[in-house]
Amino acid sequence: MNNVIDKTFLITLVGPPNSGKTTLFNYLSGQNFKTVNYPGATVEYSVCKLLDRFNLEANIVDSPGIISLIPNSPDEKVAVDALYNHPQLGSPDLIIATVDASQISRHLFLVKQLMEAGFNVLVALTMTDMLLKKGLTINEKELSKELGCNVVKVDGRTGLGVDSLISESLNAIENPLFINKKQTVFLKDDVNKKWLIDIFKDIEGIEKRVVHHFVQPKKIEAANRKIKIFTDPEAKKNCNSIDNTTLKIDRLLLHKYWGLFFFFIIMAATFTSIFWIAQPLMHLIDALFEILAQTVHNAIGEHWIGDLLSSGIISGMGSVLIFIPQITILFLILGFLEDTGYLARGAMLIDKPLSKIGLNGKSFVPMLSGFACAIPAMMAARTITNKKERLLTIFIIPLMSCSARIPVYLLLIAFLLPPEKAWVGGIMLAVIYILSIISSVVIAGIINKFSSRIIKTTDNSSFILELPSYRVPKLRVVLTNTYYSVKVYLKKAGPIIFFLSIIIWGLTYFPDSSPKNDTTGMSKDEISQAVNVERLSGSYAAYLGKAIQPVMTPIGMDWRVGVSLISAFAAREVFVSSLALIFKVTGKEKSLQTSIVDAMKKAEIGNTGQKLFTPATICGLIVFFMFSLQCLSTVAVSRKETGSWRIPILQILIFTSLGYFFTFITVNGLRAFGIN
Amino acid sequence: MKTAADMINGEKGIIRDIDGSHPSSRRILEIGFTPGQEIELINKSIFNDPLAFSLRGTLIAIRKNEAACIILS
Repeated sequence: MNNVIDKTFLITLVGPPNSGKTTLFNYLSGQNFKTVNYPGATVEYSVCKLLDRFNLEANIVDSPGIISLIPNSPDEKVAVDALYNHPQLGSPDLIIATVDASQISRHLFLVKQLMEAGFNVLVALTMTDMLLKKGLTINEKELSKELGCNVVKVDGRTGLGVDSLISESLNAIENPLFINKKQTVFLKDDVNKKWLIDIFKDIEGIEKRVVHHFVQPKKIEAANRKIKIFTDPEAKKNCNSIDNTTLKIDRLLLHKYWGLFFFFIIMAATFTSIFWIAQPLMHLIDALFEILAQTVHNAIGEHWIGDLLSSGIISGMGSVLIFIPQITILFLILGFLEDTGYLARGAMLIDKPLSKIGLNGKSFVPMLSGFACAIPAMMAARTITNKKERLLTIFIIPLMSCSARIPVYLLLIAFLLPPEKAWVGGIMLAVIYILSIISSVVIAGIINKFSSRIIKTTDNSSFILELPSYRVPKLRVVLTNTYYSVKVYLKKAGPIIFFLSIIIWGLTYFPDSSPKNDTTGMSKDEISQAVNVERLSGSYAAYLGKAIQPVMTPIGMDWRVGVSLISAFAAREVFVSSLALIFKVTGKEKSLQTSIVDAMKKAEIGNTGQKLFTPATICGLIVFFMFSLQCLSTVAVSRKETGSWRIPILQILIFTSLGYFFTFITVNGLRAFGIN
Repeated sequence: MKTAADMINGEKGIIRDIDGSHPSSRRILEIGFTPGQEIELINKSIFNDPLAFSLRGTLIAIRKNEAACIILS
């Protein structure tokens, strides 16, 4: 007995999506859990130690929601396999199966399978209050007898019944249902239709026998009427009806035309929030880190260590933290939409057009977020359950024109247009966005055709989605989920972004050549500027830029553009400041943008007298920025979210060569038409 | 042979069988579309696809081609 107490048990929570599993897990863990990837997979599970006050030494695992023990996709297979034998924690001593009391005719299916597979099962009956609203109640003793395992009613939001769930858990661990029974693994091919149908027939019988009308003492009847609990013994025991409020709201939100109207309103609000609300916060972070970097730089002085600390380490940390406002806002909104039940409906509305290019209705929100920033967008793709569709969504997200490209486009458009025709710039920007949408659709379609080779999965594309009843979102749940998404980003993608930023810093700093020109008579700022200019022009990035000169020539550009493109790998908007450095622009007299444009207009290729920047090459650059993936943070997050380097490397190769190819066509095409 | 894909908004029907040759047929069964169950088409998305059915007290959206494997009596 003693050694039973000493051992740390493993309890796994299993349940279909929307069965209250995660709510229960949050209660049991006191919201203090770790989120871990199954080895070699992108599927995540959460694990925690059961809170001390429950007096049971146990690890609790919150497994991904599953419908059946027969996996339907590679991700589900990982989740199901881990139930039998968890790669880190072994085989569970107990499975707590969550069942939505108002959904027992569907949710008992998994319980039946778990029992048949030989697991030690305890049923946690959740959402009994929803059933009560229909005037019904379940007799858990009868249900327990029917199923052959214990049943406890719990409410993960209030903690009601959790204590008896824990004492029943200990009881179940000490007296397992099956002793030395070999566990059955269900294989796809052995499962026949009849077996499935029979399980459901069995459950329908159970449902009839254990669900009763809620009979209440006369006194509280009036009180209950107020909180809308009605009992009518004459009425049919109808636990299989949808609540009326949900049906009424859906008449509007799923309406053929109005539904689409509300969908666009909600999505526009989502997009504006991540775009506009996050913007000032991002500027704030940016400014703070700039001040910090400047302070450190001034304290140490002109030395590579000072520069490593300020431009390398501090800026690197800044480039990790800069994404937090967008990630937080996006996940807050997504959490609310998911918790109210709308997200599933939005996915349904937009599924058809997206399915044509191998995506899913759930791809919409991540793709839309991609127009703000690819980092939170790729993370949002986690809501897509189908692996192929998730990978394909992540794959094309870099094609969405993210906000970091705007400063670049604005500079290039400013070059093309005389100041008095600035309004045309708005139209050109719109054209760039529309072209980027069209090209991403076309490319998604093409990649979908080759999906077996490019993203290496061939999931059966399907869209089977439960539309949960509308309910008021729970702030605490949404906040916890957002907090964990940010934490995962910081822990998993943060170090890669940081490391890559330092590499870019090293490339643009070393070998640190000092100005050859005479600096006497120049102000301190001018000297510092001259040093920066000289350093970048003599840096390894410049060497690389010169090395790729043969590649730049066909698209009408030279090594100076090359260096700026390489520097832009830190973040696309760096392209602008890098151009300013390389063309020795100070921006003292006029705005920086106008000064760069002036300098660009004067720039010549070598000593040939031929202009470097022409309308043709500028259009080429715009096209290059539309396609090419030159954002190391995106690469880092893509690596994290897809679980390997395969997809991020393919993304760099495919998108950057596409960018180059289209730039070549644009520049030479325009030249052929006489536009130089 | 009438299938769930042929239903109109608000129409009710009883499932007779599930076409086992469809790749999604097992998942359709597992989610609760079993013979004998009554389903109601609650909503169609624009483009008439996917379809939202009321089944066993919940709403479930499936694509039209998946609904086509649900044979009605």
